Amino acid sequence: MRILIVEDEPDLLRSIAQALREGGYAVDTAPDGEDGFYKAENYDYDAIVLDVMLPKMDGWEILKRLRKIKKTPVLMLTARDQTRDRVKGLDTGADDYVVKPFDLPELFARLRALIRRSANKTTNVIEIGQIKIDTALRNVSLQEKPVELTAREYALVEFLALHRGEVVTRTQLYEHLFDENESSLSNLLDVHVSNVRKKLGAEFIVTRRGHGYCIE
Amino acid sequence: MKIFKSIKWRLQLWYGLILVVVLAGFGLTAYQLERNRQFRQVDDELHRRIGVLGNALHHPPPRRQDENEQPFDRPPPGQFPDAGPPLQRNRPLPEFNLPSWDAHFFDTNDPHGYYYVVFGTEGGGEIARSANYPNHEITSYSSDFFASVNRFSQFPTPATKPPRMFNFDNYRETADVLPSGETIWVGCSVLPELKELHRTALNLTAIGGLILLIGLAGGWWFVGRALQPISEISSTAVKISAGDLSQRINVAEAESELGQLAYVLNSTFARLEAAFAQQQQFTSDAAHELRTPVSVMLTQAQAALNRERTAPEYRETVEACQRAAQRMRRLIESLLALARLDAGQEALKRLRFDFSKTISDCAELVKPIAEERGVKIFTTLEPVEITGDSERLAQVVTNLLTNAVYYNQPGGEVRVRLESQGGMAIFTVSDTGAGIPAEDLSRVFERFYRADKSRSTGGNGLGLAISKAVVGAHGGTIEVSSAENVGTVFTVRLPAV
Repeated sequence: MRILIVEDEPDLLRSIAQALREGGYAVDTAPDGEDGFYKAENYDYDAIVLDVMLPKMDGWEILKRLRKIKKTPVLMLTARDQTRDRVKGLDTGADDYVVKPFDLPELFARLRALIRRSANKTTNVIEIGQIKIDTALRNVSLQEKPVELTAREYALVEFLALHRGEVVTRTQLYEHLFDENESSLSNLLDVHVSNVRKKLGAEFIVTRRGHGYCIE
Repeated sequence: MKIFKSIKWRLQLWYGLILVVVLAGFGLTAYQLERNRQFRQVDDELHRRIGVLGNALHHPPPRRQDENEQPFDRPPPGQFPDAGPPLQRNRPLPEFNLPSWDAHFFDTNDPHGYYYVVFGTEGGGEIARSANYPNHEITSYSSDFFASVNRFSQFPTPATKPPRMFNFDNYRETADVLPSGETIWVGCSVLPELKELHRTALNLTAIGGLILLIGLAGGWWFVGRALQPISEISSTAVKISAGDLSQRINVAEAESELGQLAYVLNSTFARLEAAFAQQQQFTSDAAHELRTPVSVMLTQAQAALNRERTAPEYRETVEACQRAAQRMRRLIESLLALARLDAGQEALKRLRFDFSKTISDCAELVKPIAEERGVKIFTTLEPVEITGDSERLAQVVTNLLTNAVYYNQPGGEVRVRLESQGGMAIFTVSDTGAGIPAEDLSRVFERFYRADKSRSTGGNGLGLAISKAVVGAHGGTIEVSSAENVGTVFTVRLPAV
């Protein structure tokens, strides 16, 4: 899962990004509105955390422009908690709204819910044959036995599971599993896929040669 | 009673009362005039008839005078008036013969017609009486009449004295004493006149009542109309007191006193609303400014506590928390300073000092920050003594200087100038920064207003607001002018000693 955070307060931006990375997300950051809009426009994020008060271009403007071209789930982050601000945010096309100061666990739960909703899933648990993926606890079990996965491996499984039945290209996987700072070494993805196959069974992830990967 | 406290009812009551008095006055006067007119007609007729009756009296030739007889029928001297019974007259009674051509004056068949009775000389017997003479006792008031006549004059002289009229029951009578001593009473029934008057009275009452009703209804309508703005004002005021400050009184007649009142109230409401909105905006801005550092501390702490960290990681977290806390402290100090300046509680020191020294000290303080950013500070300071709080003014100077440094471009310049001009100390700070857009220029002194909407410069948006308040408290002014991509100039004027 790749997430964009647009926030002009550097300490806040850094701590949210750090916590999300530790949770296995690929995180991009933008310190102002222009940078934020540029990134949101050019990458397919699974979710965007967007501050309202931003230099250069404010959150409303970014949202308005983004909604004309994309349906990326957006979670607004603001210090204004007046109803009219919330209504404005939701009406402009925000998918959720968190008021500062907020708790990190709540912010993450809301992000997970946003991503789940955008993949048309209603529960936290995805079952594929003998394999169960709990997106809230971020763990995977095979025949009721927990399987140890690294954060990146889990992210790979979750992304493919959320797009079950679809062929996911390598580019897509790179875009959603790695952030802008990681150099996309092509064999890194293959390493993760082979590790997951070792842990969950070789036939769990199907390779479509020349296209990408798929969970059937 | 609530009804008497209502202005509408009280006005109506007074108005009605005045109307009743006026109408009653007019009605009574009209009635009186009509009554006088009718009775004068009757009286004229009666007097005409007295003359007729006087002509109908025929005196027999006078007898030869006795030697003992008193001349002119006078009582003997010393016996007047109560010395004894009046002397027996010895003149014979005149004959009364109403000519036929005058008889129509006294139509005996008409129960309301004129009647008469003629008496002889004083105390003498009745000479004639018309057939329709009403059955009433005339002697009682006739003796009265004579008493009054006798008391004042020997003989009444009808030509000069107004004739006396007598009323009893439905009759009106008048009497005359002829020079020859006979008394003639003429009367008539005034029943038709009384009926006429009664009708007039009824008419007047009806017309008066109608006018009163129309007047009251018109007054009610008019008072209601005049008071309509009041009820509108009060209903608006009720809505405003309920919290809806956007309400305004609908002013229809701007010319009337109430229209002017409504206009004044409306502008008061507008100012109230603006002040409220400003206060709300300020509170919301202050909350907003506090929320961000709180979020930083909260997320930093929560992220750090997620798992075990290395010492440098903890250090970084604690440093971030410290920055956030210091930011909050600065904000709280600024808010407090503003609140004190607003309330006028801040006791400003009133000491005489050289402002140029304060400025050069501040410039020294800011220099390291300026060097960090490659900005040069040039000062041209003329010594000017002013009276005031040097600490507070130093804050203003520092604030303007740091702004000039922060909003400058790398390698830019800040020119600081102090001069004395016309009894004022004029302090200017000009920078070579990007300038402030014209639409933002008027708002830079507003609280929490930032031209660039960015928090990256570290300010809290209160510096210029505080500067303005401090300069204002010293009886000075602060102004800004700016040209985009050329620079911004802040000018502070303070009264010099």
